[in-house]
Amino acid sequence: MTVDLSLAVAIGVLFSIGVYLMLSRNMIRILLGYLVVGHGTNLLLLEAGAWGQAPILGEGSPSTWADPLPQAFVLTSIVITLAVAAFMLAMVYRGFLHTRDADVAEASADEVHIDDGGEE
Amino acid sequence: MPTFAALPAAILLLMVLAVVAPWAVGRFGRATMALFALAPAAVTAWLTTMIPAVARGEVMTSRIEWIPSLDLTLQFRLDVLSLVMGLVISGIGTAVLVYSVRYFPIGDDGLPKYSGSILAFAAAMLILVFADNLILLVVGWELTGILSYLLIAHRVRRQPSRRAASQSLMVTSFGGLALLIGSILLGLTSGTFTLSGILADPPSGTAAAVAVGLMLVGGISKSAILPFHFWLPGAMAAPTPASAYLHAATMVKAGIYLFARLSPAFAALGFFRPALIVLGGVTMIVAGVVALRQRDLKLLLAYGTVSQLGLLTLLIGGGTTETLLAATAMLIAHALFKAALFFVVGIISNVANTRDLTELSGLGRRMPGVTLLAWVAALSMAGLPPFIGFVAKEAGYAGLLAGDDLGRWAAVAMTIGSAMTVAYTARFLWGAFATKARPRSVLAQPVSAWMFVPTLVLVVISVILGVAPGPLDALLAAGAAPSGALAAWHGAGLPLLLSGIALAAGVGAFGLQRVLERRRGAVVEPTTGSGAAYRALARGVEALADRVTEGTQRPSLPVSLGAILVVFLLFPGGVLLRSQLTPGSSVLAANRFQPVLVIVVIGLAIAVLRARGALAAVLLVGGIGYGIAVLYVGRGAPDLALTQILMETVTLVIALLVIMRIPARAWTRTATGAARVARAVLAVGVGALMTVFALVIPGQRRAAPVADQFAQPVAETGGHNIVNVILVDLRGWDTFGEISVLAAAAVGVSSLIFLRNPNAVRGSAVLPPAVDNPSSWLATDSVSRPSLLVEVATRLIFPLIVMFSLYILFAGHDAPGGGFAGGLIAGIALALRYLAGGRHELAEAAPVDAGVVMGAGLLLASVVAAGSLIGGHAALTAAVWTADLGPLGSITFGSSTVFDIGVYLVVTGVVLEVLRSFGAELDRQAAADGRPARDSNEMAAR
Amino acid sequence: MNALLPLVVITPLAGAALALAMRGSSRATRLIAVTTLAVQLAIEVAMLARIDSGGVMVVHLGGHQAPLGITLVADRFASVLQLISTVVTLAVLIYAIAQQRRDARPDGSSAAFYPAMLVMSAGVTDAFVAGDLFNLFVSFEILLTASYVLLTLGGTAERIRAGTPYLVVSLLSSVLFLAGIALVYAATGTVNLADLAEKIGDLSPGTAGLLQALLLVAFGIKAAVWPMSAWLPESYPSAPAPVTAVFAGLLTKVGIYAIVRVQTLLAGGHERFTVVLMAAALATMLVGILGAIADGDIKRMLSFTLVSHIGYMLFGVALGSQVALAATAFYIVHHILVQTALFLAAGLIEYLRGTTKLAQLGGLARAAPLLAVLFFVPAMNLAGVPPLSGFLGKVGLFEAGLSQGGTWPVMLVVGGAVTSLLTLYAIVRVWGRAFWRPTPLTGTAIAAARGGDDSAVSPMQAERVVVLDAADHVLPGAPTVQPPSRIRAHVLPAKLPRGMLAATVAIVLAGVMLTVAGGPIYGLLDRAAGDIANPDVYVSAVLGRP
Repeated sequence: MTVDLSLAVAIGVLFSIGVYLMLSRNMIRILLGYLVVGHGTNLLLLEAGAWGQAPILGEGSPSTWADPLPQAFVLTSIVITLAVAAFMLAMVYRGFLHTRDADVAEASADEVHIDDGGEE
Repeated sequence: MPTFAALPAAILLLMVLAVVAPWAVGRFGRATMALFALAPAAVTAWLTTMIPAVARGEVMTSRIEWIPSLDLTLQFRLDVLSLVMGLVISGIGTAVLVYSVRYFPIGDDGLPKYSGSILAFAAAMLILVFADNLILLVVGWELTGILSYLLIAHRVRRQPSRRAASQSLMVTSFGGLALLIGSILLGLTSGTFTLSGILADPPSGTAAAVAVGLMLVGGISKSAILPFHFWLPGAMAAPTPASAYLHAATMVKAGIYLFARLSPAFAALGFFRPALIVLGGVTMIVAGVVALRQRDLKLLLAYGTVSQLGLLTLLIGGGTTETLLAATAMLIAHALFKAALFFVVGIISNVANTRDLTELSGLGRRMPGVTLLAWVAALSMAGLPPFIGFVAKEAGYAGLLAGDDLGRWAAVAMTIGSAMTVAYTARFLWGAFATKARPRSVLAQPVSAWMFVPTLVLVVISVILGVAPGPLDALLAAGAAPSGALAAWHGAGLPLLLSGIALAAGVGAFGLQRVLERRRGAVVEPTTGSGAAYRALARGVEALADRVTEGTQRPSLPVSLGAILVVFLLFPGGVLLRSQLTPGSSVLAANRFQPVLVIVVIGLAIAVLRARGALAAVLLVGGIGYGIAVLYVGRGAPDLALTQILMETVTLVIALLVIMRIPARAWTRTATGAARVARAVLAVGVGALMTVFALVIPGQRRAAPVADQFAQPVAETGGHNIVNVILVDLRGWDTFGEISVLAAAAVGVSSLIFLRNPNAVRGSAVLPPAVDNPSSWLATDSVSRPSLLVEVATRLIFPLIVMFSLYILFAGHDAPGGGFAGGLIAGIALALRYLAGGRHELAEAAPVDAGVVMGAGLLLASVVAAGSLIGGHAALTAAVWTADLGPLGSITFGSSTVFDIGVYLVVTGVVLEVLRSFGAELDRQAAADGRPARDSNEMAAR
Repeated sequence: MNALLPLVVITPLAGAALALAMRGSSRATRLIAVTTLAVQLAIEVAMLARIDSGGVMVVHLGGHQAPLGITLVADRFASVLQLISTVVTLAVLIYAIAQQRRDARPDGSSAAFYPAMLVMSAGVTDAFVAGDLFNLFVSFEILLTASYVLLTLGGTAERIRAGTPYLVVSLLSSVLFLAGIALVYAATGTVNLADLAEKIGDLSPGTAGLLQALLLVAFGIKAAVWPMSAWLPESYPSAPAPVTAVFAGLLTKVGIYAIVRVQTLLAGGHERFTVVLMAAALATMLVGILGAIADGDIKRMLSFTLVSHIGYMLFGVALGSQVALAATAFYIVHHILVQTALFLAAGLIEYLRGTTKLAQLGGLARAAPLLAVLFFVPAMNLAGVPPLSGFLGKVGLFEAGLSQGGTWPVMLVVGGAVTSLLTLYAIVRVWGRAFWRPTPLTGTAIAAARGGDDSAVSPMQAERVVVLDAADHVLPGAPTVQPPSRIRAHVLPAKLPRGMLAATVAIVLAGVMLTVAGGPIYGLLDRAAGDIANPDVYVSAVLGRP
């Protein structure tokens, strides 16, 4: 199967930037990073199938169609991305109300769980 | 005559009683234990009836299948050794329970646990000794360990008890695991897990040797042989009757029993006998010395037990039938006299309130009866005639001397050990009963018959067996002609000489110790090396645990993600490198617009990194989405393009609704320089790897994709738009799951947003009000009224958009569109109403609980899915009707269309729910908190 | 009869739909949730019976023969796991209901709880029967999304903090999984597992291995395989007790299940990555259990044992023989029940004492004997004490490892033994402190107990304990700091709700049943292992070849 160079490059860039953002401590960055990586994944799905004209029955033939299955996968993935993004936004807002910023809170001193040692 | 097949029943009975006992004893008090004593008594009686048969050399077995797949069967076998052990277990168990009736004070709250554990222990111990299946033996073995743990920690509120309990548990469990691995290995190498079968035809070779070695490790840890002896003295934290039972008479004999079982088959192994003789000899002597220095009578007996266990190990190390027989006799003897002596100590500590032999004085005169019993038991321990101890010891000497050099060396070690035995026996008698240069101890209470009688019985048996060992000799000979090895009097001979030497030396050692003690004053509690080693090890493990955990368990999200990405780079990345795959044919781009779009998208992505504020970043990411949507068009994916654009719009709206309410400083760079470099490296690595994958993998395809065969099934459904048909029919199951994802997420959103007072310890999400009360909002709402124009416009547009969304829904089957697209358009219509008129406009636009909409949609989808089942077809099988719409022509209306309607409803409901949360509810909260509410016009303007 | 297969997923989703539509009334939603799961359970029992006698159950959804559409496949393995999962979910649901009834603290009483539980149950079930890689992805998304909602119920600062790593790590794993699917389709042109099992054979070993590696990483995250396990102890413990219990029981096992499928179906006959998996298994066991020893909070400690014992299952998968797979299957079932039981018991402790921090616990054996039993039995089971199921699973794995022989298997057996010894150590530590020792009085007392100075104890701890034990002992000179808001100063309940106890008892007994009915159950799983050990059974069942 022939691959599409420009698409492959786009995939790489989107993954790099998305992952970079996801590695942040800032919830909003993480969310945006996830969205960007999501686009990268969708393009990768497209790269996994042939391109061509829109797969509509009666217009063209399987040989001229773009592979419809990856398209269906992408549609599903887009929808799931929306769902998760919405939920993350809610978490961002909640977290913001608690900590007054959008950074990922981490276990503070009094929550370090190393045990109190000593007796059985 | 009762058959042996009753054994499982007997064990079961004991276990059931073990469950009942805690309740009964807790309810009716300590006296109930006398009743429970009847159970082991019955078992004793039953086993006694077996003696004649076994003495004739008969062997009985019983077998119940349990878990064939694991070679784990309830196989039991009755022979001399197991019968002797069984009698000891049940007999002394009976004595212990009777004795306990008075040993414990009234209202001892540990008694329920104690009584249950003792009965369960008896059951477990019976399993151990009668088991004819290796794994089953391990089961009994480990159970006794746990019960010992529960019994040692009788005074659970005292830390030393708990510590001693867990220490003994850890040590014996270590051995238990060695035993388990050894048993499995032995079973696998010999092709059967039936113990008797293995012993009849022992496997040879390294594996077998390793297996037996591991089993020996298990044995020495359980029987407190050096270097594992230290847990036994610690175990004296247990109540004295429990110590008498577990830590003198039975459990600590488990290892001895194992050695005795294995030795006939494996004594030939190079290391078997030397290991047992050396470890046994050293243990016997060292523990004897330590015992001689104890002040606590109970500890003295404990070290004495360790010493005697050494003796037993050493005798089995002799490796001949004679030594084995002597060991068995000695095992019986020890069980009898040591249990009796523990009972005596229990009596003393009860009546004199101390076990410290330096504080005890003149007890001999005050309680002559007990003193007499103690003397008899002690003399048996010291190996003096006419008691069973003497008989067994003489037989032991004879057996060893009859053997090879190793045996003779063992005899020497045994003599030294016996001397120490005599010495600490003397010290025990002196310490407990002698009248010393100090006021005589006062008796707090009289000696109870409940405690005296069991002791008496044990002692009497010691005497009988000592005076007339004939029957025992016959029993142990098991059918063979009685060896006469066990005799009340062997006449003068080397064994007698050795006994004499030991006696003299022992008395001398006792005297010497007295002198030294007077010089040095009170002895300090000896700290045993390996005990300290264990504690050091435990501390080491804890320290290691802390260090490893601090190293691996950083509560930092980037670190966790980083670890995963590193694995991703190393594992699949590494595999890629080793596979040396190369890209196949490729073109620059699918069409000539695409490179431009790619550049735009990349540009936007880079711009996101540079974005000054969250708002800008969100808009830029939205831009990427639109760019990619256009890209989809070029690749023949109009459905994707349409859905992507709508999806991006909705995402943008809700994202802005939230970002609006979060101050700009929430978009801060938190990472330091170094961290950012690390992030960048990982990120670029992952991106590069993905590009390589994208270039290399597609070229590997050999087979035609399944999609090539879609034309036919799609035609059957009557639809034309293949992608849509895939979504609602071919892969409708995915869509079904997907809409439930949407619904779940939406519910999650509202559960997080419809909360008040985030600082409450725990909040609960309350239901969104189906409709805001129209009468009240005028008063509270601080949203500035939008311009009339906007409001009217949206009101006019709204129905049109909704109509359009319905058209898209139904058109989807043939042209781009479908439930998702339609639902999103409807959702956008609602968003417009909200943006124009605020939350009340939204409430008016959709005066229903979004939950109902989502629920209805999901239910509709479920019904379609299930409906086709009722028809006997597979789920989601399409049924097609054609509806004639007169002038509008006819549309084919399939069950898949109904399914798509469900999708439409869920999507609409989800958008509504989200708008209610991020829009309306947050406005309301803002209003309620008197914060300036987001101005809807300004919002709409953006 | 095959109709049952899709119904087992449709039922909980329909239930969720109803619960959503009727979320106005919590009584109604409770009723719906319990009934739904009961029905699902009944269906699964019927299915198991049918499958054990009649062989693999296959449904081509929409009547489209594989590989065109989506295929649902239920063999014995899948069917058993479904059944156990629903048992656990149902018990936990009852536990949660009882807690909300009696409880001022409305954990999970939100309208979100019941729909989310049902959706999650659907996701888990679908994951077990998905015969299609992309549908497996979707089912993961279903259960994950529901789990995000459950984990953050109530939206307290602590839960948002703890929910974040779980959410983000799951997102990453989903992305990697989806990328993996894309590449699988790119290389083979199919996502149907059975079809894949055939087509992957035509690829070069390098390509096949690559695809397998990609999927293993994605599933390894879900199964919390070290070093991809750090997220779990950070997130699970802070959820509401019932939620933690059901997560601990089910979610990681779905990952293990997926790994089993990949290793058996896509390995293309010859075992690939055996050593990698064994190394990971060893590391997971040891690092996990050391974490458990180091931790001073019961829930977190249990989370670490959860990670640690994943190593056992991974070990079995790596061995790959039928004996090993049977042991793995048995261990999975055992671990689902025992971990759930322990977390439910921990929930009871928290209910009584308001905390699971060892530093502040004590005297529970006396205060709540039944609770003591409910903790002790599964705890000993986890430590693999015979004759409980943990021991049986261990024996199976050791037999498999030793019969296979070789350096790695033997190392793993030794590692497994060490792990179970350390598990016992950790358990005994917790038992001694929480149940046997007297209740610590104040922060100062805790400090004394650890031979340290008061500064070592935060005033919060001190104050907390004073609040807890105020009834028992009023202490002169006890710190009189204002109780921080995190401390609930209300009087802690003395009695445990009957429903919570009943649910816990049920799960504990279910665990014991694995021993009592060990023969038939292990036999069934042995047959199940027979199916998976030989992929042809699965493949020919799906592709309809004799």
